[in-house]
Formats: sequence, C-alpha cells, structure tokens
Amino acid sequence: DALLPAPQSISILSTNMKHFLTWSPVIVQGATVRYSVEFQGEYEREYANGSWIPISECSLTTATVCNITEDISATVAYKLRVRAELGATRSRWGTTKGFFNRAMTSLTPPLLRVVADGHHLLVELADMGPSFQFRLLYWKKSQESRVQQKVVKEVSSMVHLDTMEAGAEYCVKAQTHVEAINRSSSFSPTQCVMAQGDTSVWLV
Amino acid sequence: GACRVSMSMTEIRAGFTAIKANIQSRDPIRTLSILSHPHSLHKVKSSDRCCITHQLFTFYVDKVFKHCRTEDSFVNRKISSIANSFLSVRRKLGQCREQNNCVCGEESTEKFKQILANYEGLNVTSAAMKSLGELDILLDWMEKSR
Repeated sequence: DALLPAPQSISILSTNMKHFLTWSPVIVQGATVRYSVEFQGEYEREYANGSWIPISECSLTTATVCNITEDISATVAYKLRVRAELGATRSRWGTTKGFFNRAMTSLTPPLLRVVADGHHLLVELADMGPSFQFRLLYWKKSQESRVQQKVVKEVSSMVHLDTMEAGAEYCVKAQTHVEAINRSSSFSPTQCVMAQGDTSVWLV
Repeated sequence: GACRVSMSMTEIRAGFTAIKANIQSRDPIRTLSILSHPHSLHKVKSSDRCCITHQLFTFYVDKVFKHCRTEDSFVNRKISSIANSFLSVRRKLGQCREQNNCVCGEESTEKFKQILANYEGLNVTSAAMKSLGELDILLDWMEKSR
C-alpha cells in the first residue's frame, strides 16, 4: 500500500448547511485512481469502538469531492477520512485535521426580491432547505424607528408583509436562522419599493 | 421540573422513517414491547418527564444503537445520524437536569426499571432492534408532551 500515497489537502467546505469534503488528486501516470470516503461521529468515537462508516455515494469514486451533507446530520464533532485505490492497491487513510461540527457552517444572507403589488408589500425568498427560517424586517422609509418583523418558517412562493399607504416607500431586509445550530446569517442588503399612488377616479 | 431543550425532531424523525420498515422487519417478536409494556409512556406524570426523557436517551445511547449494526450501509448511516443526534440532545438534557434539579420520581424510576427489564428479557440484538423499531413511540410521546 505504501506505493499509493494517501490523498492530501483534505478539507471541508461548508456553506448554508451543505457540507463537502475535498482533497487533492493522487496522480499515477496512465492510471485512473479512485477514492473512498468514510465518516465518524462523536457517537462512533465514544460508544462504537471508534468505528468508521462508509459513504456509499463516494466509494470508488473518481471525483475529488464528496457531498457529506446527509451524513453530517447532528450537531456533534465529526471526523472524515479518504483513501486512494488503484485496482487491489489501497493507500493509507488521509484524515481531516481536527473535527468538523455543522455549527461551523458559514451562513450567507438570503436572496430575496421585494415587490410592490398595488398597495401590497410582498417578498419572494429563495428556498434554502428545511433547516432554514427567515427573519424579515420592514419599515416605512420615513419611519425608521418603527421597524416591524415577520418570521417565515417555511418558504412559500410569495410572502405578504403589509398593506402600504398610497405613494409611500417601504424598505425590507432579511436574515436566515438555523434552529439546529442556533445561529443566524448577517442581513441582506436593504431593498425599497414604492407603493402605487392614489388613483381615485372622479365621475364627472 | 421542566426541561426545554431544542432538538431537531424533524431530522431525527426523517432519519428513522427512512429505515423504520427495514428495522421493524428484523424484529420477529411483534407481540412484545420494550417501551409500552405494561404501561404506555403517556401515563408518566409531567413532573417526571424531564427525568425519564434523559434516562431514555441514555438507554438508547448506551445500550441500543451499538447493537444495531447491519449489513446495509444506508441503514447504518441513518442509525449513525440518529445516534449522534441522541448524543447531542442527551448532553443538553443532562445539563438541564442538573440546573433544574429534575428529581426522578418514584413513578418514572419504576417505569424505567420496567423498560430495562423488558430489554434484558431478550437477547441483546433482538432487544436493541426492537427498541430501535419503537423509536417513533418515544418521538410521538415527546412531541405530544411538549
């Protein structure tokens, strides 16, 4: 096995609760090297003799990235390892340095689109998965001190925030919150829209 | 005393639902129950709930999950997911129990003894698989008594 070097530069990229293991390719001229990935949670370390669990989607893969989101599904410390395989030859395991906890994921502000539909203030939010809630803050432009809040637990197509005064300008910003790790993103840039002016019609 | 602990019930339930049929098919003794014999969890007084929940999570972490390894990689991954979630919640329950001084009443002590007796009445693999197969009984009881 010493002929085949272990994968190097093993790291975890984690954004918005999506977690990926990546590593540098092992180069063997004229041959296709494959890789296998395994994970170990705190439970396995402390109660199951330090056992490792293979990730079947990343067994004998030629890719140098593995989506580990489904398996990193508890807020505990995990370790990941990957080895190279060429025919019957296997390298030693390359293991992540330190532990990974999904609470370390980086949270980005949500994508949103603010719409004035007549007198209605609406917001369209991009779906980020079941772990995410959204906290929306909105206010009338001239009344920055009277900010209102709405928490959206499940993304539907459009969220109705308020009925606006004719011709007034309203502003909205939002952040995400992940209950499982009890953390929130920073706020999105503020977006403002103008309510439709008054179009009362006089009968002459 | 009461314990308010945040836990990803949705994730745990999704993990269990994905393997429930597989796990329950490995339990040949359908006439017996670990958690519900002779009395259901629903009979536990609310004042005892914090204590017995912590005891049950400890029971699953210490005794059950380790004996549930299967030949199926998908099932093993879901069991790992549930086990690590239970470990995370058990830690919070333990902290809460200490802070709130959740005393284990006579009833919950008796109930938990019965669960252990039911468990030890079977060979360890059958008992572990049956206990895992009854996880929704525990989850349902926890959700109803929130």
